[in-house]
Amino acid sequence: MSYSTFNRKHFDSMKEPMFFGENVNVARYDQQKHPIFEKLIEKQLSFFWRPEEVDLSTDRKDFQRLEEHEQHIFLSNLKYQTLLDSVQGRSPNVALLPIVSLPELETWIETWSFSETIHSRSYTHIIRNIVNDPTKIFDDIVTNEEITKRADSVSIYYDRLIEMVNLYNTMGMGTFNVPGKGDIEISMPKLKKALYLTIASVNVLEAIRFYVSFACSFAFAERTLMEGNAKIIKLIARDEALHLTGTQHMLNLMASGKDDPEMAEIAAECQDEVRQIFIEAAEQEKEWATYLFKDGSMIGLNAQILGQYVEYITNVRMQAVGLETCFATKHNPIPWINAWLVSDNVQVAPQEAEISSYLVGQTDNNLDDSDFDDFDL
Amino acid sequence: MTLISKSTNPTKNDKVHRVLLGKKQILVTEEEPLLIQLERAGIHVEYQCREGYCSSCSIKLLWGHVSYPFEPLAWVQSGYLLACCAIVKSDIEIAFFD
Repeated sequence: MSYSTFNRKHFDSMKEPMFFGENVNVARYDQQKHPIFEKLIEKQLSFFWRPEEVDLSTDRKDFQRLEEHEQHIFLSNLKYQTLLDSVQGRSPNVALLPIVSLPELETWIETWSFSETIHSRSYTHIIRNIVNDPTKIFDDIVTNEEITKRADSVSIYYDRLIEMVNLYNTMGMGTFNVPGKGDIEISMPKLKKALYLTIASVNVLEAIRFYVSFACSFAFAERTLMEGNAKIIKLIARDEALHLTGTQHMLNLMASGKDDPEMAEIAAECQDEVRQIFIEAAEQEKEWATYLFKDGSMIGLNAQILGQYVEYITNVRMQAVGLETCFATKHNPIPWINAWLVSDNVQVAPQEAEISSYLVGQTDNNLDDSDFDDFDL
Repeated sequence: MTLISKSTNPTKNDKVHRVLLGKKQILVTEEEPLLIQLERAGIHVEYQCREGYCSSCSIKLLWGHVSYPFEPLAWVQSGYLLACCAIVKSDIEIAFFD
């Protein structure tokens, strides 16, 4: 079955599964099989922000005053986040759009990916502000072994799914020999399994992998250092929390069988593998914390505390997708982080929200006859 | 040990319910979501967005009834509640991680 950008078949999109049904044709949102995705789109749009809104001029001075090992912590985290958002800014589109079958979910995937591109642009904004030669930082992302190790784990499931869907779209079902990779079997259960594991690994990426670096950014800001950066990270964290709800919904809908009964069997079959994805990511993040603090800790954080936080947050995220928790840490070792992660104190200037002239295309509906008093024809 | 949360000017028809958490018992009203009342009673609950989309404040609901003034964006697993936006409607028992 090959992909069509405008499927000519007549079908009821309310009866399609989330993925691997008909290609979406009409982008209509008046009827929705899973209205949650429309709600996520609305929420994401309401979060819209631009990196340039945040002033980073003090961060440059702060950065120069950081000790060398603190600069290493700060820059390494930025590099890692740049990697994660480089992957996330494109992969949901490349991997999921060719197989999605619901218009509201298709648009959610696009909205989600788009917001990741804002994150990527904000890293450039931060890096340009604190160093003279951004190239050195960006180049290191593809050569630094600690980072590339992580690149492999965050892209492997995406890449496998994309490869299988390419084969499916060109060759259909069967077993195909791909030079350098051997025989690849394409069948609906295999495709669905690759999809389920991909969504699980993306959930882990957004639910766990970002948080070590969030914690470090906020630990700097607790000392009133790099506060512009912390403001940006706060906005990113708000977006990521919403994205992870998106993948939690996809995983839970799949596992429930309400969307596609075959997917429920696959979800049950994959449960151990998904647990393993969570545990492996947590272990890698703990290793990352050790790498960050290899030359020294920072006030309020060290590798051990950060490791406990990784275990704790992994438990929270596993529970959210219906998995048994697997780590002993049952309490948040850095409870102060929540005050930074909370989104209700992300500032919005009152004029942005209330004064109509600040809103694009806003009209004032409160008119009465007296408004026309000075109006002559 | 019994902890009583300071309720803000309870109105006459304000219902009070008991929340059991291990050996603790907390009294809560229907005026505010559970999270803020637990915090006032000195109980640390994990949270992030505080508006129902991140699911960080998901807590086990062992028995009893809660309702949501608006449907949260987060997926609420059966047998769990979202503390940031759940209104307690009967006596309930809750639990954190095992």
